[in-house]
Amino acid sequence: MSTNTKYSEQELVSQLLQQDGQAFSYLYDNYSPALFGVINQIISNREVAADVLQDVFVNIWKKISLYDDAKGRLFTWMLNIARNAAIDKLRSRSYQDSLKNQPLTENVNTITANSVVNPQQNDIGLKKQVGKLKEEYRVLIDLSYFQGFTHEEISKLLNLPLGTVKTRIRSALTQLRTMI
Amino acid sequence: MNIQEYISSGIIESYVLGLASPEERVEFEKMCALHPELVEARTNFELSIERQAFKNSVQPPGGSKEKIWSAIQQSTTTNASKIISMEPRKRRSTGLRWFAAASVALLLLASYFAYTLYNKNRQLQARMERNDSLINTLTHVDKMVHDPNVMVVNMVGLKGSPSSANVYWDSTSTDVYMVVKNMPKLPSDKQYQLWALVGSKQVDLGLFDLPESNVILKMKNTQKADAFAITIENRGNTGGPTLPQLQSMGKAKL
Repeated sequence: MSTNTKYSEQELVSQLLQQDGQAFSYLYDNYSPALFGVINQIISNREVAADVLQDVFVNIWKKISLYDDAKGRLFTWMLNIARNAAIDKLRSRSYQDSLKNQPLTENVNTITANSVVNPQQNDIGLKKQVGKLKEEYRVLIDLSYFQGFTHEEISKLLNLPLGTVKTRIRSALTQLRTMI
Repeated sequence: MNIQEYISSGIIESYVLGLASPEERVEFEKMCALHPELVEARTNFELSIERQAFKNSVQPPGGSKEKIWSAIQQSTTTNASKIISMEPRKRRSTGLRWFAAASVALLLLASYFAYTLYNKNRQLQARMERNDSLINTLTHVDKMVHDPNVMVVNMVGLKGSPSSANVYWDSTSTDVYMVVKNMPKLPSDKQYQLWALVGSKQVDLGLFDLPESNVILKMKNTQKADAFAITIENRGNTGGPTLPQLQSMGKAKL
């Protein structure tokens, strides 16, 4: 199940559209570690993260016809599928319940500046860069990007005006861009 | 906002990272179609995120690839099996037919009730509107009657005519209203007309038909009036009063 063929993004997409098994193999070999890394930043439990990875690939396979290269790169599209799937899992009842049974985990229901979902994973990837932002920015990116809260929800959680939340997230993102 | 400001506003990052609102996304996509430099900036950010993600790759647990592939194949075969289903179709379809018939009956019944309710509601609404306008008129009459600035002129019938009415003249707003008390019906080509007598002149205050109920009629305004008079005129009269047809008169006392 492995392949040595090299596809361009465009070729890969058209092969996937034809439901080609080789194309899946290529897709998995080339993208699964990066996507798994992304999922891991949100879901720390490896087994659960592997379940999410499966959902992600099944979704990519099923929804490839919805991908529009005018709107962005293939990886960006897959990254967002992965992030959304991970956040859905994070917020699912079953996952929240499983966290409660782990004595070492902080109380995830308390949202404060310090309660990042995966404390042990602060040192990798985008999260590492986010960690370098100043506190008020870091919290906002953490809540919106890694925990999937909407701007409205964050505004309520942190008791900040909605406009402030929006502008701060924008500034945080522009700063983040210069760091990566 | 010019395109450079837009590029550096953080919208690119919001969009690529999936944090932009649906409205922002639509706007961004429109802007991308117009500005190649925006697309270039977006692609650059996408590439840096991509590099970042690849640099932080984590190997999934062994055996994941095979597991996922069989999940994908299963998800496609479940779709196929729906088509070649070998279930005992007849019984299921009879059940389905009953269910469909029941649904249609229920739908018809529901539509009938909805229609009846809709009609009732409309009738009630029309009645309510009529009542509202009646209440408004009555409130108005009540106010007129109790307003100290409003003069009530009692119009009495002349020459054996039974016609009687009350004219309410508001000396501050110059409004004139009239309440018909007792006036005979007229042939359809005739109308009553109210006049204000100012010195030796007759000022037209409006033609009117007998109102259906004893409601108040709004007539034309007048600043001055020594007396009021009602005549019978041809429908739509534009000339002066036909004085022999004078029905009733009342003196305004100031």
